[in-house]
Amino acid sequence: MNRLDKIRNFCIVAHIDHGKSTLADRLIELTGSLAKRDMQAQLLDSMELERERGITIKLTPTRMLYDFEGETYTLNLIDTPGHVDFTYEVSRSLAACEGAILIVDASQGVEAQTLANAYLAVDNNLEILPVINKIDLPSARPEEVKKEIEDIVGVPAMHAPCISAKDGTNVKDVLEMIIKEFPSPKGDENAKLKCLIFDSYYDNFKGAICLIRVFDGEVKVGDKIKMMQTGKTFDVTEVGIFTPSARAVDMLSAGDVGYLAGSIKTISDVAVGDTITNALDPTEMPLEGYKKVQPVVFCGIFTVDGAKYNDLKDALEKLKLNDASLEYQPEVSEALGFGFRCGFLGLLHLEIITERIEREFNLDIITTAPGVFYNVYKTNGEMLVISNPSDLPSQVEIDYIEEPIVKASMYTPPEYVGAIMELCQDKRGVYKDLTYLDKTRVRVDYTLPLGEIIYDFFDSLKSRTKGYASFDYEMAGFEQSDLVRVDILLNGDKCDALSLIVHKDKAYTRGRAIAEKLKKIIPRQLFEVPIQAAIGNKIIARETISAMRKDVLAKCYGGDISRKRKLLEKQKEGKKKMRQIGSVEIPSEAFMSILKLDDDK
Amino acid sequence: MKNKTLGIYVHIPFCESKCTYCDFASFVCEEKEKYFVFLKDEIEKSEHKGRAVDTIYIGGGTPSSVEPKYIIQILQTIKSNFQVSKNAEITIECNPNSATVEKLASYLNSGVNRISFGVQSLQDGVLKFAGRRHTAKEAIAAIENAKTVGFKNISADLIIGFPNQTKTSVCQDAKKLISLGITHISTYMLQVEEGTLLYKIVKENPSLLPNDDVCSEIFQELVSFLEQNAFCQYEVSNFSKPNFESRHNLKYWSGQDYLGFGLSATSTIGNKRFTNAKTFEGYFNGEREVEILGNREKIEEKIMLGLRCRLGFNIEEIKTLGYDISSNKSFQEFIKKDILKIQNKNVFLSSKYYIVNNQIISSLLP
Repeated sequence: MNRLDKIRNFCIVAHIDHGKSTLADRLIELTGSLAKRDMQAQLLDSMELERERGITIKLTPTRMLYDFEGETYTLNLIDTPGHVDFTYEVSRSLAACEGAILIVDASQGVEAQTLANAYLAVDNNLEILPVINKIDLPSARPEEVKKEIEDIVGVPAMHAPCISAKDGTNVKDVLEMIIKEFPSPKGDENAKLKCLIFDSYYDNFKGAICLIRVFDGEVKVGDKIKMMQTGKTFDVTEVGIFTPSARAVDMLSAGDVGYLAGSIKTISDVAVGDTITNALDPTEMPLEGYKKVQPVVFCGIFTVDGAKYNDLKDALEKLKLNDASLEYQPEVSEALGFGFRCGFLGLLHLEIITERIEREFNLDIITTAPGVFYNVYKTNGEMLVISNPSDLPSQVEIDYIEEPIVKASMYTPPEYVGAIMELCQDKRGVYKDLTYLDKTRVRVDYTLPLGEIIYDFFDSLKSRTKGYASFDYEMAGFEQSDLVRVDILLNGDKCDALSLIVHKDKAYTRGRAIAEKLKKIIPRQLFEVPIQAAIGNKIIARETISAMRKDVLAKCYGGDISRKRKLLEKQKEGKKKMRQIGSVEIPSEAFMSILKLDDDK
Repeated sequence: MKNKTLGIYVHIPFCESKCTYCDFASFVCEEKEKYFVFLKDEIEKSEHKGRAVDTIYIGGGTPSSVEPKYIIQILQTIKSNFQVSKNAEITIECNPNSATVEKLASYLNSGVNRISFGVQSLQDGVLKFAGRRHTAKEAIAAIENAKTVGFKNISADLIIGFPNQTKTSVCQDAKKLISLGITHISTYMLQVEEGTLLYKIVKENPSLLPNDDVCSEIFQELVSFLEQNAFCQYEVSNFSKPNFESRHNLKYWSGQDYLGFGLSATSTIGNKRFTNAKTFEGYFNGEREVEILGNREKIEEKIMLGLRCRLGFNIEEIKTLGYDISSNKSFQEFIKKDILKIQNKNVFLSSKYYIVNNQIISSLLP
């Protein structure tokens, strides 16, 4: 048996909460990669945020050793994110594997992302091994779920191991099936070096670290390597594996999964998806299949304290290294000053990034309302792609606008079909199909404008179906639509950071809701402040904040002076956190509050 | 600086009972004898002994709740340790119920020439809610007594913000006070301070008190009523007939030096501010807090105190201290909108904006 025959590179895919990380933990434990007492639940979810939310965002590969029939096998597990926003990250890790374990919850059955991830694995030519998890639950129905997998996903599942990752039942079967069913990597140690960067992160001491899968050749300390996409060359300072903590090794060869460091200081030099080769003996053909991912949700990010612009820039640079899908470019807002317009894979991605900026970099930020990008066709024949409402040309210059459309599939128990259809209708959806998968599950297909999905679709779906429905979507091109920009005027001055693009039929309701909300949030000023929502020059909603009537009118004698002065100093500090729009001071929260208009109702 | 005349404040921390809204250092207790011994001692040991004094203010607490002998003794101590000018303004705060003709007469005899009555309201319902010990009738009688005894400078406090107060009722109160010959009125918005009985009551019943809009309407109405009756609003909450401004309080507001004796009293001399301990124990131990006022604090106080007064502050004076306010954006806007006015390098607030002075002052601080 040669070296490659004893390696298996695989990943685990699943719908969110079906137990992916728990199974990964059991596998690591069972192969003795880590003593049980050292384990922190769900090891691979290394970010605090991930553990808190019970989701995996970052990929962390782990090498495990397992003795089977007299041979020691190397099993490289690459964990994957489970949320629809991170489809691209899943696809990157899949490309580094030969097999995928498809976990399905024994009581939930096949869910939206079970299918989406299974299809991704098929697209990457992976061998798929279904595993039924959570059989310890009283509501488990493994046999039905197996049938669901065969019927819906189209993968043989009758011999799928039925396990409980939680208590360890039958997890050993999974290990043995990995060895028996998954193909070993192909590759030639003596060929020219070809490694795939499937992820990266930044280490303060070692610089940018590339997570790699070696396809051909070998790489060791001292080698001169070349990034084929960027053309940059580096000297390798360290190669290693994850056990799951990083451990340096002498060399990584064809078939191996590990990391590589090369004193790479500039973040942009590591393009995830790039192929690494040997600079002195380069391969001619880079690895294929890595497309640059396109962000679909955009928002402006600004610091509450304008002076911290550079800190924000730094934070985004660092996050970008870990997260190839994050995009940003400088933006100047009249209301919020210097900041960045950022592109995300979805709303969860946006939330995670903004939360990480606040937590890991300790910055107070203001985000503007999330939006999508539009194709704007001007009367002069020009076409603009815009993601910032402020960039929308005036109405007379616009011939028509196209908005991005998605194909959405919702899986639900039949009793919620009506509620889902009502929601989709409300979100300007177009009905496509309704399929009874079995007695308890229906698939509802719609096309929907992406812009409607990012505006509280998930929450509404959840609440209308008591959390039973799952949801997946894929981009499905552009469609012409009657869109307008709603501007918000405070005391007659337009506040660019509050503008948004909406469908004409919804402009009135949204405009009024925003004006009402702002009235509640903006404190009284010295003058009466009209809040108006407008389309072009037409006012569609108006609220008024009446002028402030009184301060605390207190005595101020000898003993009160210091206290009074300190109160005013404090009041002045509070004002610093306010943003000035014309003569109106508005608190930072005002910008975020309009993101959550429906919460109050 | 040394030859400038000082104001002296004396704190009498005793009351017959505690009002529902009061957060002053006042106590209903029997430490009087000891307290006045320490107070006398503090005055006698003052490092500023011998300096000229032209205002004395005896406040509290309720100075009229203690026997007049203590007041007479304190005034005597001050006079023998400081050069109190002949025409010095000497004020004492009195509660209508404890201001008997005898007491008032003995105050007058010992040199007191200004009385400040804690009237608060002339509505019995309001007085009861506030926990005051007097009735409207008693308040009126007290003022009449003071007049009879010979006081020509009498001030009354009014509070706005109690339940059932209206524009009409407050103006009627003011009208009655004016007809009684009052020369000065201080008016405050009721503040609900944590730790007071009122705080507890309001927390349980938040809609009990009139809201901001109602209070400000009452206040504005009162301001115009007083102006129609020749009372000038010389500070945000103080009104007087011509030449009856409180000279002592003007010392605070124009940034002059003053000494404070007694529990919780504050002195400011040059750039040093001392505040005596707020408990008897601390005061008897001679504990006090010291604050050094840097240029920044001085600038802030000049703007704050100046804008609360008709006097305003001097642009050049704060420029000398290092703050060029003319480059402040809010300042420019306030000038443009006539919220602030400038006359001979003096900046002051348009009186209709007095009621939102905090908002304006905080925008102008360096």
